[in-house]
Amino acid sequence: MNSFRAASRIALRTKPTRALLAPRRNYAEAAGPADKIRLSLTLPHQSIYKASDVIQVNIPAESGDMGILANHVPSIEQLRPGVIDIIEEGAGSKQFFLSGGFAVVQPDSQLSINAVEAFPLEDFSPEAVRAQLAEAQRIASGSGSEQDIAEAKVEIEVLETLQAALK
Amino acid sequence: MVAAWKAAGLTYNKYLSIAARVVRRSLKEQPRLAAERRGEMQLKFAKWENGKQGEVKNLAKEPLEQ
Repeated sequence: MNSFRAASRIALRTKPTRALLAPRRNYAEAAGPADKIRLSLTLPHQSIYKASDVIQVNIPAESGDMGILANHVPSIEQLRPGVIDIIEEGAGSKQFFLSGGFAVVQPDSQLSINAVEAFPLEDFSPEAVRAQLAEAQRIASGSGSEQDIAEAKVEIEVLETLQAALK
Repeated sequence: MVAAWKAAGLTYNKYLSIAARVVRRSLKEQPRLAAERRGEMQLKFAKWENGKQGEVKNLAKEPLEQ
């Protein structure tokens, strides 16, 4: 009787220790190398980066420009239309112009950027930007409807950022 | 601070679509044509009443949804 009680007490004691030894999955193990951030840059029609490990990503957030490295604090940032810099190991840096969207930093060094349009800077034509900027400025200072003026002002903001990025 | 587009009464969706449209139009010839082809859509609408087709309306020509 006594030995049975002792055995059951041992069994009770071993159970929790076994649970502690069992392999557990957590955020840090699920992610890639510790010094990299896993980037997904996705558009409705295309994935430009699909869970690629990169060193740093610079984004134009509404709250200010920011650089995101591995182990960044989790956050959600609304993006202004502007240039994002992606710094990859060995490959140098790549730049894309985004038309605006959201960046989500997850707790396991994952960064998801969603935008409507994103193109490398060399795909843009400075002449087209200049022509559209002149047109938008004409509408913004004209006597069109309030809606047209508001749209033209959004366009001017995008085009001025684009023009500065192309210089 | 309220963003200028919001103060002017635009929704976020509308603001994004304007920004995306102006980005597409700023591209060089080749990527621009590819990007604009992606945005093409056709939609026709007709109401049927008593077994007869009503007037056909082309919804694709309507301005972008607010």
